[in-house]
Formats: sequence, structure tokens, C-alpha cells
Amino acid sequence: MEFIQKKTNDRAAEPFLLKAAEKGISLVWDRYEGQLPECGFCESGLSCRDCLQGPCISHPFRGDQSKVGVCGKNKDILGVHSLLRLVVKGTMAYLDQVIDFAKDIEAGEVSPANKAQTDGVIRHIQGLFETVGPEVMEAFPEALTNRWEATGIYPEGIARDLFKASQKLEGGITGVNETLLWTFKCSLLGCVSQMLQGKLKSSVFGNAAPTELEVNLGILQKEVPTILLYGHFSPVLKQKIAEVGEKKNVSIMGVCTDPLLPPYIFAPVTSYGSQEIPLMTGAVDLIVSGDQYVNPSLQEVAREWSVTIVPAEVLERGQDLGRFAEQIIDQAKKAFDARSGISKDIPDVKESAVFGFSVDTVDMKKIVDAINGNKIKGIALLAGSNNVKFTQDHEIVSMAQEFLKNDVLCISEGEASIALAKYGFLNPQFEMECGKGLSGLLSSLGEDIPSILDFSYAQNGGVTEFLLGLTSVEKKEPKEYPIVAVFPEANRSMDVTKAMWTVAMGVSTFFWPFLPVTGSPKTMEALTAFCKETFGSRFHVITRKMDARTKSTMVIKSLKGEDELHLDDNPWS
Amino acid sequence: MEVIMVDQEKCTGCHQCELWCGNEIASVSKELPLAINEDPQPVPRVHVEGKRFALQCRHCPDAPCITACPNGTMRRDPESGLVFVNEPTCIACWMCVMVCPFGIINPSSSLKVAVKCDRCRNMEFPICVEVCPTNALKLVDRKEAAEINP
Repeated sequence: MEFIQKKTNDRAAEPFLLKAAEKGISLVWDRYEGQLPECGFCESGLSCRDCLQGPCISHPFRGDQSKVGVCGKNKDILGVHSLLRLVVKGTMAYLDQVIDFAKDIEAGEVSPANKAQTDGVIRHIQGLFETVGPEVMEAFPEALTNRWEATGIYPEGIARDLFKASQKLEGGITGVNETLLWTFKCSLLGCVSQMLQGKLKSSVFGNAAPTELEVNLGILQKEVPTILLYGHFSPVLKQKIAEVGEKKNVSIMGVCTDPLLPPYIFAPVTSYGSQEIPLMTGAVDLIVSGDQYVNPSLQEVAREWSVTIVPAEVLERGQDLGRFAEQIIDQAKKAFDARSGISKDIPDVKESAVFGFSVDTVDMKKIVDAINGNKIKGIALLAGSNNVKFTQDHEIVSMAQEFLKNDVLCISEGEASIALAKYGFLNPQFEMECGKGLSGLLSSLGEDIPSILDFSYAQNGGVTEFLLGLTSVEKKEPKEYPIVAVFPEANRSMDVTKAMWTVAMGVSTFFWPFLPVTGSPKTMEALTAFCKETFGSRFHVITRKMDARTKSTMVIKSLKGEDELHLDDNPWS
Repeated sequence: MEVIMVDQEKCTGCHQCELWCGNEIASVSKELPLAINEDPQPVPRVHVEGKRFALQCRHCPDAPCITACPNGTMRRDPESGLVFVNEPTCIACWMCVMVCPFGIINPSSSLKVAVKCDRCRNMEFPICVEVCPTNALKLVDRKEAAEINP
């Protein structure tokens, strides 16, 4: 099927598309085109593979025929289950990260910066199976936790939240709204896991401090062996690799991985969408790959450019992480020597960026005052990674530009920060066009403040940390402030889980591409009307095609409380 | 004249042809998330029966539907030879539905018109051929189709 769209806005990555085409290597964009049209039933949430009597679909155009699955799931249940399935998977991803980290700390692999605090956090993580400690939940405003208790979505641990929610997919007669509440309950467990992970990181490696680093392909080096860490795996292993790497003069950088792990920095070489490109420069000798956020396609590209891949998440990793790290570094050095004949083509594109703001380093009261004094229109929390359905980085960059011009303070985290950093949004020296009120606020926050603040330090838990910091100033709830969360190019199930818990916290969320729930009018209605009623916020699943500028206009109008006006052509709103 | 041919060995019965036909040809919005919720429901021109894409218009050289139509609603495109329904003049008498030897013409009770596949005559390719994930649907010359599938 023919599909015409500019592939990427990243001028460092773009020349490599031609190179790949010449070599006959398929990149993410080619594979996407090969998949078109993607299954319309799955895209609309009208399919199910949960048992072996199917797979089933609910046919939207067949009169009264083929409307319900073999077990009796109708289009509405199929739709809400599609969402639940994603959230269960996303929550497990957060849990996997925190448990991974805690296991390595328990094993005594590093000596924590704050031993007592670390032990406390570890105890909470150990108890997560059966309960979420009240001390953890105290971080949330009381009105919020009371509401969660009243609606039955207060997080109660893995067994009660995750397992129970996942069983809704197995059967039963739970309706759409109730299933949606289970989905929220599950996502809040993901939120708690991420908070604990952030706390553990601060206790072990020290508190966040704004750190300047460089991003994009131009930071790759020709003269020294280079290792790229891909995706998520144990921060302890990452630290060990960096430790040994520093001693043996091996450069360690990252892709889709947490860039800050004091005292080490894993400078982001590129963002999610173009993760195959760094290998094509010839300047990468070895990659260590986790599972989350890593495309299996890397294997093929790595073979073509003779790059060694070391999987970090294997059954037989061995207990001694230090030795494993030594082996990795030695392998990288050998690979560097063996690859001396391979030409290195490093584009001269890089950008400075400041990462790692936190509630301790940003004066939250000034932000609250700016909102109350109408200096800024509101706050947009930017999150999510790249998605091949959009021109890489185009949506997030265009929307961020519009927000800044219109006096909307932007807070970013995780992969969204890395995408924005590539275009100078995180560079204090780069003068972005900001509204007058916003400029005033940013300069009042201190020197060297970039246009967009990255709050990723708490293991990408910035959105939550920021919200809690903001609300603690006046002891109010997030829904009382003009705040929205925006996922312009969301991708993984973790993004969906995060979007769900932001809604549960009372922050309206705009999510692109649309979730696979559009085949279910009841789910769509529940995500807007029911959520508004329950949490005071909406989960906007926007199906209408529109350009990034229209999207940002819509978000800005929503900050002013006019969102209903702009979504009324959807049958469910 | 080219017609749609089905390789029944390759058809997996995935219903994608039916779904995208309903969206691209039959719906008002042409956007799947909206088309799904349209009222009246879009009526796809192609149907999958069991594991076979059996229901398709042959655009018969001597088409009984054209002969039976009382007011010239059922027409043949003089250039391509494709048979189509001129929907604005259809009086929903269902004569065509009755006489079609292959049962491919559908009475749309909500729209009060006969609906049938016109092989996407105004498009470069029929949408069903375009979207078929296994290439079970192909556009081939009628003579060739007759040889393969007599």
C-alpha cells in the first residue's frame, strides 16, 4: 500500500535512510510501510486472542452478524479489554524495572549513598506483592487518595491490582466502567512502582542535579572503542560498565536508556524512532541491550556493520555483575580493533542539553504563583516516545513550539526529553520563542534554565514527581490547576499506563495515536464523560486527523476550559 | 476488462477486504474510527463467506441485473465494461437482487438502494485488492480468470 510521509525531522538521522536503501537494509519506516494497512479490527480494539476458541472479531459492518466473540465479548468489552491488556503489560514493565533494580541493591552490588533510606525503599518494594505501604501513598494529596478509595482503585499491591485486573481478560461479566476502573487501579500500581524506583535511585546514587550533556549522533567518537547501552536494564550493571569503561578508556553512551546515573552520564545518541541509525555510522563497536524499548531489528543492522550485541537480560547472566562488566569492556576493545577497517561516518550534528531538574532544584512556588497570577496559561507535561505513524519528532517539536509561544510551561520526561533535546529545547543557550509571561517565569527560576524542563531523573517518573511537588505548595489537587499531559507520539504500553494514571490523578490527557478502543463507543464515552465525572479529567482519544498546530491549539483551548467545543464532532463526546 | 480473482488457497478469511471496503467505499466519513460508529451502518460491497471470498460481481457480459432493472439504474460503464448501480435513481424494487445468479447484490434496507461491487471503478485499484494481506485477491484479465477458474 502506498504511503507518503516524511520519515524523520532529525537531520542527523535523515542521510542514513538513503544509505540503508542503497544497502537494501530495511529500517523501521520500511517495515511499517510493509505492514500497511494494519489490521483494522485490531486498530479499533475489535479483536481478541485471549483464548483458543478464537481469534474473534466484532464486525462493524455486518448487520447483526459476527458482532460478538465466541465467548460473548461484544464490541464494548473487546474495546475496553484492548486497553486493559496494554495497561497490564505496561504496569508489568514498571514493576520489572523496580524489582530488577532492588534485587541488585539487595545483593550488595553497590554501596548506597543513603543506606537507611535505601533500606526503607527496598522494604516497600519487597512488600509490593501484597500491599502498597501507607507511607508511599502519603506522597499523594489526601483528597486524591480518598477519591481512589471511594471508587475502589486505591492501589493494593501486585496480587490485588495486577493479577485481579488481568483476570478480567479471562472472562466474567464485568461491565465497561468497572473494567475501566480496574485498568486505572492497575495503572496506579505502575505509578507507585515508578515512584519507588525514583526514590531508590536517589537513595542509592544521590539526588538529582541539573546536568549538562550533549545529544545526537555527533557525539559518537572515532578514536576510542564505543559501547551503546540500549533500553532498560539494571542501573547497577550500567554503573559497573561505566566504571570499568572509564578506567579502560572506552566511551559509553545510551539509546532509550536513563541518561543520568551519578557520577556517570550515558549521553543519548538518538531517540527511539531512529534507534537503528547509530549502528550505521560504523562508530559503534558493541551494544548492550535490554528488552524494553529495543527493536529486535537491531540484530540485522548490527550484523551488517559487524557490531557485537551483548544481551543484558539473559537467563544465565551470572551473579557477579562486575565481572560481566569487565567482559563487556574487553569484548568492546577487541571489537574496536577488529573493526578498524570499517569506515566511520559520524554526522556533525549534536546539541547541548540540561537534564535532571527536580522539585528540589526548581522553585515550585514560583510556578504556582505564575499560574495564579495568570502569567502563564498552564502547564503541559510532555511524555512518550517516537511512533513511526508520525514523522519522527515532528509532532512533539511542533507542539512544544506552539506551547512555548502561547505561554504554556512545558515539562518533559524520558524519551520525550531526548527528542526535544535534539532540537535545542533543553539547551539554556538556545533562545526559543517563548511568550512574555513564560519567559519571565523561566528567567525567575534561575540562570541557565532551558525553555523546557526535563524531570526525568526519577527514572522517568518526572511527571508524577512534578505534579506532587506542585500540588504540595498550596495543598491542592492537580485538577485544580490548568495542567494537561500530552503524548504527541506515544508508542509502548508503558506510555498507556502512564497516561492512565495521569488521568486518575486528575490531569486531562491528550494521547496520539488513538488507542485501540475506537470500536467501542461505551469505552470512548467512559474515557471522556465517566472519567470527567470520577476524576475531574478526561482521556482524550482523538481520531480526527489534524496537523500538529491544530492539535496544540486544541490543547491550549482545553487549558482554558474550552475542550468540549473542539471534540464535539466525535459521536461519543 | 480486468476483474477481481480470488485465490482460495491463499484466502485466510481475515475479513480485511470487507472492513476496508466498508470504510473506503461505503462509509460517509472514510475514517475507520468514525465509520465504525456511523448510522446507518456502512454496507460493504464484498463479503467473506467462511474461509472464501466467494461473493464478487462477475460484471457478466450479458448481465441479468441490467435487463431486469425497470428504470435503468443498473448500468454498464461503456469504457470499462463494469456494471454499477446509479444510486440516486434506485427505487429499491430489488429486481436485481432476485435475478443475480451469484447473489452478490445486497438490498440496503437503511439506505433503500441496491448495493454491489463496482470494482472501485473510479479508483486506480480496487481497495480489497490493495489491502489483502496474503495477496489472495488479484486484478486479472477476464479471459485469464476464466482459464484459471472456469
